[in-house]
Amino acid sequence: MLWFAVRRITSAILVMFSISVLVFLIFFATPGVDPAARIAGRSATPAIIAQVRHAFGLDRPLPIRWALMMDHLFIKQDLSSYVNIGSRVVPQITQAAPVTLSLVIGAAVIWMILGVAGGVIAAANRGRFIDPIIMFVGIAAVSVPAYWLGEVVNLITQGGLHHSIFSWVPPSGFVPLTQSPGEWALHLIMPWLTLAALYAGIYARVLRAELVNALNEDYVRTARAKGLSERRILLRHALRCSLIPIVSLFGLDFGALVGGAALLTEVVFGLPGVGLLTYTSLQNLDLPVIMGCVMYGAFFVVLANAVVDIAYAFLDPRVRVV
Amino acid sequence: MSEVILDVQDVTKTFTVRHGGAGARGRIQAVGGVSFEIRRGETLGIVGESGCGKSTLARCIAQLLPVSSGSVAFNGVTLTGLSRRQLRSHRREMQLVFQDPYASLNPRRTVGDIVAEPMRVHHRGTSEQIRDRVADLFRLVGLDVSSLVRYPHEFSGGQRQRIGIARALALNPQLIIADEPVSALDVSVQAQVLNLMADLQDELGLTYLFIAHDLGVVRHVSDRVGVMYLGELVEMASAEALYQAPAHPYTEALLSVAPELDDGRARTRERIVLAGDVPDPSDKPEGCPFHPRCPVAQDICRRVKPTLEVADDGRAVACHFPRRR
Amino acid sequence: MSFATRAGVIRAVDGLSMSVERGETVGIVGESGSGKSVSMYSILGLLRDANVTIEGSVLFEGREILGRPDSELRAIRGKDIAMIFQDPMTALTPVYTVGWQIAEQIRQHTGASKKQARKRAIELLAEVAIPDPARRVDQYPHEFSGGMRQRAMIAMALSCEPSLIIADEPTTALDVTTQAQILELLGQLQQKRGSSIVMITHDMGVISEVAHRVVVMYAGRPAEIGTRTQLVREPRHPYTWGLLGAVPRLDSKRTRLITIPGTPASPLDVPEGCAFAPRCAYRFDRCEERPALHGDDHLDACWLEEPDKVRLRRAIEEAS
Repeated sequence: MLWFAVRRITSAILVMFSISVLVFLIFFATPGVDPAARIAGRSATPAIIAQVRHAFGLDRPLPIRWALMMDHLFIKQDLSSYVNIGSRVVPQITQAAPVTLSLVIGAAVIWMILGVAGGVIAAANRGRFIDPIIMFVGIAAVSVPAYWLGEVVNLITQGGLHHSIFSWVPPSGFVPLTQSPGEWALHLIMPWLTLAALYAGIYARVLRAELVNALNEDYVRTARAKGLSERRILLRHALRCSLIPIVSLFGLDFGALVGGAALLTEVVFGLPGVGLLTYTSLQNLDLPVIMGCVMYGAFFVVLANAVVDIAYAFLDPRVRVV
Repeated sequence: MSEVILDVQDVTKTFTVRHGGAGARGRIQAVGGVSFEIRRGETLGIVGESGCGKSTLARCIAQLLPVSSGSVAFNGVTLTGLSRRQLRSHRREMQLVFQDPYASLNPRRTVGDIVAEPMRVHHRGTSEQIRDRVADLFRLVGLDVSSLVRYPHEFSGGQRQRIGIARALALNPQLIIADEPVSALDVSVQAQVLNLMADLQDELGLTYLFIAHDLGVVRHVSDRVGVMYLGELVEMASAEALYQAPAHPYTEALLSVAPELDDGRARTRERIVLAGDVPDPSDKPEGCPFHPRCPVAQDICRRVKPTLEVADDGRAVACHFPRRR
Repeated sequence: MSFATRAGVIRAVDGLSMSVERGETVGIVGESGSGKSVSMYSILGLLRDANVTIEGSVLFEGREILGRPDSELRAIRGKDIAMIFQDPMTALTPVYTVGWQIAEQIRQHTGASKKQARKRAIELLAEVAIPDPARRVDQYPHEFSGGMRQRAMIAMALSCEPSLIIADEPTTALDVTTQAQILELLGQLQQKRGSSIVMITHDMGVISEVAHRVVVMYAGRPAEIGTRTQLVREPRHPYTWGLLGAVPRLDSKRTRLITIPGTPASPLDVPEGCAFAPRCAYRFDRCEERPALHGDDHLDACWLEEPDKVRLRRAIEEAS
């Protein structure tokens, strides 16, 4: 177990190191991109640009500049934006992260419940009318783009019906959990459902396929020969084995979403999360913020993968490490 | 006596595997110091239970896997250590037939193409000559020439194995290495394929290295038989001698429990049911590899590993206390 | 019994009548597609498909079990009739311990507590000679060797003291020495408990070593039924001759094997009349009509006259 943790942490550090180098090279060593000119402003004279370049250490060799940036980001934690001079990167991220985490964790709970329930119900009723209905709803949810669904949800809950049945839906925005748990949930319920719809559809379809395969396995035949009920066979034997691929899928999706892939949902519902932050920083080519966001995203992807590995070992004794 | 066509000397194959979480590397000796010769026109059978290394041995001989040590000489030329390019001309004289006729044929190509492929790769003749040769091969293995344009899934298991044999024969090889060629087939079909292989041997003067787990099948096809246990040859003798009077206790036990038809003609042998399982090859016992399950093991068997001793009658046994009859 | 499929109705099993007495081992032998496994699965309701229809009658301990609702069959499956399957690698659920899976069956059919069921599972593992059962009970299937997994399957089958065990190719996936261990174990347990066994296999050698009576099946139909000695020493059906002649023997010199031309009949396309006729070297006019299974204690479905059968069989024996 200790070895497992050591290996995980080492690989996490390695991954984050390589990503930071990669991002650094893409944004700082690409010809034509001159951060100094950006910082200095539109009408800066060459002398001012040179001065800025020196002040920000941009005239030093690349490895040193990388090390300086890492030092400011992780150790001194005072890396500041090139665009809004004085605004620091780390507080920006720590402000945005709870928004994204709230959105993604809530949505994940909903999509896992809906996806697993949908998959199990469809598999249990394969060949009957309810199976294709669930599968159709699933594929419909997958096919609808999140921003479109989000806009439609907004239109309905904030528009015409806002004064009748959807009067309880608050205007878009974010209320921290620490401030008011009720308001937090109320503000997030529509974003949650919107984000969850896509994934619930995929998960239900994947799980159904896995379950149908599992139900043809020899061990299911053994379970039937033991005299177990169909319900027990499905839930205790087939589902347990079918959850294994679902968990790895979940790890990838969850990591990516927390890392900023929930951007569209954040934009549509006006949630100031990491996705939005990344998006704005990319538009302004605000390199320190980009670096911060990427590092934050990489951290969560690596973390989610570690959690998946642990869940894997729990679900499947065959991969358990000694 | 005819000349030696294949000379296997002290072939060892070791795999390095990672197991456990601590990154510990284990070494599994799949084949340990196997030596034998095959003479032109004979059939050598290798029999053993799953995990005894017989398939790995076949792959090492065919140069599909590099040996860890030892040498394989074919027609007097040492193959081990040759480059891929150098191997090419030798390889076509030595062809493989695999166990699973379902998996070893490309499902997207017609069977005619599959059989023609080795000839195309080795540039054997014009496309017309190749076409004629494929038709001849189909007739040779008892398949209908009109089925050349069909795909593997349209054939039964036995027919697919015939296609596999036709492909192996395409380049006129001298040696056929057959790895469990009939174990996936129904009994009646298995008999057909075994008879076909015997006919082809007579007709084309082929030499076979025949690997199988089924004692009856190996007995049926082989002139000489080698028995493998945990990667090592424990006994080798003429089929007749081995089956009449096994000298190694493992061979004896194996033969005694092989199910046989009780039709009044069968031998009356006392059944020796071995206890336990074959040990994990990564954790090979000290001394004689068979000693933990051997009914006649003595103290020396736990300490000293017996070597394969060749007696006057050509029989070789690796045992401190072989049965003398 | 028939399956409705896209290719039409398949008669997978057709006109099989057989009985198993208490304490007896009946072997069902046949090649792939002979219907030997489906016949047994179907009577237990293991073929769960709306397209499967079964006709006829299956009496178990004097009670009709065919057509019973699944809830009633469930109470019989695993308790009165237990099954052992071919491939012990895949027949156990990989994510639960062996002990848990045995205990699950015990708890399903008895009111045993978790603790009692676990204790019983350890006893059963000891009974099938698994070393160190108290430790092994908490291991997963992948930590068992093939032979041990099959022992665990047997322990599970025995857990509710069934009166009938259906073993579907129980040793086919195992090595010869392991096969010998498993067959010996099954024999011992049967003697001790007096349960009946139906052994499904393709291996005439195994059948001739363990079965009291044998049913030879071809294309879903019984070709010959008799005692082991009758079947092996005085086989009457040409298909049985072929099956016996095709087995390479340990004790005879290298000769040509007797083969049956062609491949086993597909259940999708069973020939008219005698199903074996297209592959039979002795067919004649009458074979266009389907022969009935006839005889007293040794039955066969072949139109050949009795003296001809004896003469032909002798000729084959001398030839080999």
